[in-house]
Amino acid sequence: MLRKRFSALLFTPWAITFGLFWLFPILFALYLSFTHYTPLQPDFEITGTDNYVRLMGDVDFWQSVRNTVIFVVGTVPFTTGLALGLALLLNSKIRGRGFFRAAYFFPSLTALVVVALVWTSLYARGGVLSALVSWIGLTPPAHGFLMSVSTALPAIMLMDIWAAIGYYMLLYLAALQALPTSYFETARLLNASRMQTLRLVIWPALRPMTLLILVLNTIKSFQVFVEVYVMTRGGPLGSTRTMVYYIYDQGLVKFDMGYASAAAYALFVLIAVVALFQARRFGFGEEIAV
Amino acid sequence: MNRMVIYVVLVAALASMLFPLWYLVVGALSNNPLVLPGAGDLWPKDPRWSNFSDVWQIAHFPRAVINSIAIALTVTAGNLLFALMTGYALARGRGRWPKLWMATILGVMMMPAHVLIIPLFIELNTFGWIDSYAALIVPFLVSPIAVFIMRQYIASIPSELEDAARVDGASESFILFKIVAPLCKPAMAVVAIQVFLLNWNTFLFPFIFTTRPEMRTLPVALAFFQGFQQVNWPHLLAASTLATIPILIVFLFFQRQIISGLTAGAFKE
Repeated sequence: MLRKRFSALLFTPWAITFGLFWLFPILFALYLSFTHYTPLQPDFEITGTDNYVRLMGDVDFWQSVRNTVIFVVGTVPFTTGLALGLALLLNSKIRGRGFFRAAYFFPSLTALVVVALVWTSLYARGGVLSALVSWIGLTPPAHGFLMSVSTALPAIMLMDIWAAIGYYMLLYLAALQALPTSYFETARLLNASRMQTLRLVIWPALRPMTLLILVLNTIKSFQVFVEVYVMTRGGPLGSTRTMVYYIYDQGLVKFDMGYASAAAYALFVLIAVVALFQARRFGFGEEIAV
Repeated sequence: MNRMVIYVVLVAALASMLFPLWYLVVGALSNNPLVLPGAGDLWPKDPRWSNFSDVWQIAHFPRAVINSIAIALTVTAGNLLFALMTGYALARGRGRWPKLWMATILGVMMMPAHVLIIPLFIELNTFGWIDSYAALIVPFLVSPIAVFIMRQYIASIPSELEDAARVDGASESFILFKIVAPLCKPAMAVVAIQVFLLNWNTFLFPFIFTTRPEMRTLPVALAFFQGFQQVNWPHLLAASTLATIPILIVFLFFQRQIISGLTAGAFKE
């Protein structure tokens, strides 16, 4: 039996640090969201729900909500689908499997800042993607993809799909390899076609992993920031301003920290609602433990 | 579906997954600093290898490399020690407190990190920690996922060995560091890999907690180079390549461990 005093000795330093830098700030942010705190005039007085009321009428905030939702809806399903497709292809006996897996996976290990810099040059005026688009016969945006209101956000989304596929492919591959072979044997005995096996056997069996991937990727995608900061700074005309970028801008550029905290909690509620919805839709996974 | 089709799809996917990384290297070797590497340059013509040595002349780049290495190693080592101690205490402790703490840890893991931006900035600013290594290290020593992984792993090890050692008169710290710790090597590998990769690539917090160029980590420094009026793209991409090489090396040597380490925790044991 572990002695109580020793156990306390082991636990206390961590608990204090964790409390100070994780638990306290989480609660502190909630408190701040009810104040008009700014470092220029540090005032912790609670002013009620002012910030939240102001958020509801803030056009820029709603634009950031809209951009973020477009970003999430336009990336998560594609990332998940492509990751599953690649995992299925790699789950058969194929020569060079290890190499393919490593090559698909590596982009998701690369720092997002680096990824964003490379893609900034790919997307630039006269860059590779402009050339590709004109080669197909379309007209690329005159000042590059990141400088046009209609293409900037989709451009960042495409990059994010590229950068995220590898990791979720690995998760799917691990799930596929954990499936009992009896599943596939039964399907074969029943003379099921490839599509039937996929739809009736593999897809349902992958449900817990699909839920995990959706939730992880949704939480992460709602927080998109680095890409926006590096590639567009929210522009042109706020067309790529996402919620975390808005929080950063309000809190650390304009120093309106109470207001930024309210926006942060609004985003948290949005994420929680969507994640819960996904969990209900896909059933609380029996084997899920993050 | 026949084999041919599968290979065609796999190779097409390979090309699109690797092209941006290839382009990173092509851009890094470009000898035209004034414009972005153009569409014609899919192959480094007349590669300029000196770009890689030139970037070391960029102000604060060497310092950013040192910062990144020092911070990532310290945070990884610190998390290993904290996770071992705390995970052990939580796995072997009795009563309802360990359960309550585990629920709290899980809750915090689910919490999106963006909520911390403002309050943590205010807190660290009050401590006078902005632009210090403490701000970039201390809060990240206690990552909840590290403790979570270790606690789950230790709970799966039978405690008989520890009890036997106690009967033989072994001290508690001997039991933890000489008996339990060696058994935890697989979980420690998982924690080390996850924490190191996350920390090496992370941008948001080091970006917010630093104002002086000397205190920036590599990702933050790269983002600021790009913000200059006259961006020297070949240099920027060369610096980006250098920032990616350690990850590539770690990946090539520990591929198996990284893959199992990043998928571990997705399944319950």
